[in-house]
Amino acid sequence: AISREAARRRRRVESDVFGDLSRLLPLQASVRAHLDKPSIIRLTLSFIRMQALLRGENRQTEINWLEEMYLKILEGFLMVLSTTGDMIFLSDNVSKYMGLSQTELMGHNIFEYTHPCDHEEIRHNLRLTAGWKKCRENNKHKDFVMRIKSALTHRGRVGNLKSTTWKVLHCQGRVKLCVASSSVSCLLLTCRPLPLSHTLLSTHTFTSQHGMDMRFTYCDQRVTSLLGYRPEELLGRSIYDLCHTLDTSCLNKNHLNLCLKSQSVSGQYRMLVRSGGYVWVESHSAVIPGVQPSRSRPNPSQPLCILSVTYVLSGVEEPSLQLSLDQTFPRYPR
Amino acid sequence: MSAGGSDGTADRPADQAAEEEEGPSQAGSAMPSVELPRKRKGEVEERQILNFNLEDDLCRSEEEDQQVKMKCFREPHRQIEKRRRDKMNNLIDELSAMIPACQPMARKLDKLTVLRKAVQHLKALKAGASGAFTDTKHKPSILPQDELRHLLLRAADGFLLVVRCDRAKMLFISESVSKILNFSKLELTGQSLFDFIHPKDIHKVKEQLSSSEMLPQQRLVDASTGVQVQADAHVRPSHLATGARRSFFCRMKHSRVTGKHEDKHSLPGVSKKKETYRYCTLHCTGYMRTWPSSQLDPEADCTDKETSSLNCLVTVCRLHPPVSHQPPKDVNIKATEFVTRCAIDGKFTFVDQQATTVIGYLPQEVLGTSCYEYFHQDDLQHLAGKHRQVLRSKEKVETQCYKFKTKHGSYVMLQSQWFSFTNPWTKEVEFIVSSNKVVSGPGNAKDESEAGSSTLAHEEAKQILEIPGLSTGVGMMIYAGSIGTQIANELGDTYRANSSPSSEASSPFGSVQEKCPLTSRSTSSREEEAGSSSHSQSLADSSKEASGSSEAECRGSFICLALFKHNCRSKS
Repeated sequence: AISREAARRRRRVESDVFGDLSRLLPLQASVRAHLDKPSIIRLTLSFIRMQALLRGENRQTEINWLEEMYLKILEGFLMVLSTTGDMIFLSDNVSKYMGLSQTELMGHNIFEYTHPCDHEEIRHNLRLTAGWKKCRENNKHKDFVMRIKSALTHRGRVGNLKSTTWKVLHCQGRVKLCVASSSVSCLLLTCRPLPLSHTLLSTHTFTSQHGMDMRFTYCDQRVTSLLGYRPEELLGRSIYDLCHTLDTSCLNKNHLNLCLKSQSVSGQYRMLVRSGGYVWVESHSAVIPGVQPSRSRPNPSQPLCILSVTYVLSGVEEPSLQLSLDQTFPRYPR
Repeated sequence: MSAGGSDGTADRPADQAAEEEEGPSQAGSAMPSVELPRKRKGEVEERQILNFNLEDDLCRSEEEDQQVKMKCFREPHRQIEKRRRDKMNNLIDELSAMIPACQPMARKLDKLTVLRKAVQHLKALKAGASGAFTDTKHKPSILPQDELRHLLLRAADGFLLVVRCDRAKMLFISESVSKILNFSKLELTGQSLFDFIHPKDIHKVKEQLSSSEMLPQQRLVDASTGVQVQADAHVRPSHLATGARRSFFCRMKHSRVTGKHEDKHSLPGVSKKKETYRYCTLHCTGYMRTWPSSQLDPEADCTDKETSSLNCLVTVCRLHPPVSHQPPKDVNIKATEFVTRCAIDGKFTFVDQQATTVIGYLPQEVLGTSCYEYFHQDDLQHLAGKHRQVLRSKEKVETQCYKFKTKHGSYVMLQSQWFSFTNPWTKEVEFIVSSNKVVSGPGNAKDESEAGSSTLAHEEAKQILEIPGLSTGVGMMIYAGSIGTQIANELGDTYRANSSPSSEASSPFGSVQEKCPLTSRSTSSREEEAGSSSHSQSLADSSKEASGSSEAECRGSFICLALFKHNCRSKS
């Protein structure tokens, strides 16, 4: 009986300390009430790590009215990852993308929430060489696509934890080194989903559709003024034929991402211009069910196709350079 | 167990309040799969598996979810508790690592003390820091807003830009622009955006800024169907008004002058010179928003103030990283593997086309030659041993890493798996299949230098081996090939021995063939293996006794050749 009393007293004392700790954390009261002990520790850890990370940074406070907008403009959330993959910090709008709240997720490991096939790539990006600011690896801009669990239903409502889907996120960011202790160094990432939303397309973009092998099945008229090809000329041709050979690896990566993760951002590559030379472009693509002329509900057994929005970044460079046979044929054969 | 999270698909009502393990689980699994812990403690795992098996039938038969779980957790509850405790302990350890007060301690602190110290630490941080605690205007969050913004822009390598749509006047730019474009915030605020955009992109940006309904070329993409929606005359104003998304790329000027910008102004001569700028590509995403003009643009003239609101484009402009075409050097490339097949004496009968990328030879160049010709001296002993082994065993035999000579003379590290194929009717080994993998190791450069020195030694050896009537190259080949042949012969003899006990075992000269003077050290053990006959021993002795090693080596190799010929004759 005495030992039971002692145990009870110990537990009470422990709960009190946990309570103290939770009150010291800058959280909303409603959130605080629902925290269990491991969560409190996780959040405390996050808080301490973020403080350590930001110590010594001087930044000016700018106009307040813009502050809430940053995340909205970005249309994504911020993730701070430790070298071991712990999600030290997540901005609170993460719930809009994953369906799980900031406090539920913070402190957990990213490998518990991402698709196993993407773990290798995430690990590769997490390799931070401790200490050296000048290290090439640390200064590189990170850019990759990963699939993360989302408890949101198609309609955007928070669903059951049991029925999660994979959400594709485009992550970009860089390494942030902590001057004080290298163990606090981490990766800063902005994670954005990649839907091709209602985007106003400008004169410098064109859309195209491809089969899963990247052959054109449709291309919009804009391509003629930008690249010199008529849409009919492109149908059935593979995109690999129309790009600079040195960019094959870039296209390859894009293609693989599409097949595996269903969405991709290509990075910059060169497309050959009909009359010679090339332009720098970037494509944002996604895999969608084959387009039906009617707006009926898409059939699950429909063939998939790739929809691409290609932004032309530059003017025509090296207009007299001919890299493919296409470019040698005169536009109007005699 | 299931394709859910790597956490396993735990579905435990016993831990309703459980935080960590709530990784999403598959719907519809009637079995509350007792999750296998993903780390450490083998015994825990073992016991769990056992328990699972025991409870398995019991669980499956139950309809009621709740009952099932209750029954199944009678046993493993201990494991769950243990896991929870372990998790808590790990968290406490992490916490103590982060708190400076806990660090110098020699022994591990207990849970309560660590927690108390954490409380103290937080209090100290609270006292010292501002922002998160003192800012009562905004809702409390782990990271105060301005720090969040700072991190965000840092991660994004970007800056925030607010531009008036009608005049393209830059109303606001965040500090971070100085890192990206090398212009200070002051230099840019109030300027026209078009002054800083690449001339060819001006038209593009004008389009994006435009919120007028009169743009005929508006095209919108419907995400769900991927169809381009033609903008009609009576287009929905929502696309143009506040909230409309914009996403585009443009090139902006990047000032070459690093450091103080005041210098430019102080020297009038400099500013008069035509400055060439570099441009960097930016990805701008954002949307249109309307604000009261007074708030945004105090400098605006009276006419503007009449219009109470300004249409602006708010974007985050992110720097696009420069294109690099080299694949990252540390990408894990799948090691090249290729398959070869050889006869029992080690002569190649089939070589995979991929081999060429590794060994430099085309398949037809090596067919018919013995694999021993390509093995490095140091590896001969071990590989011959494996060769023997694979001929006698039905299992796959793995070699250690060894060097294989490429066409260019250098060596590549390989590691192979050998497997012999036995004719089911004659019960004799027909051929050996080898699956070879390129091994890249840290000492590759070193290997090459070693290879270089060993090839040098080889060269010397070649010169020494002056077989009368034959060129040295051929001499070497004969020597190497003979190893394989010898091993094959041993096998053949074994067969014969097995089938007809009367026939001779191995020829008395069996072991001598391998006793080439070059590898006398390594083959000495082989000698012992084969069971050296006195004859071979005396040969070795005599060769050693002879004056000068070179002469002995000559003789040795001559003997090799003779024996080889002998064997050939005996075979045919």
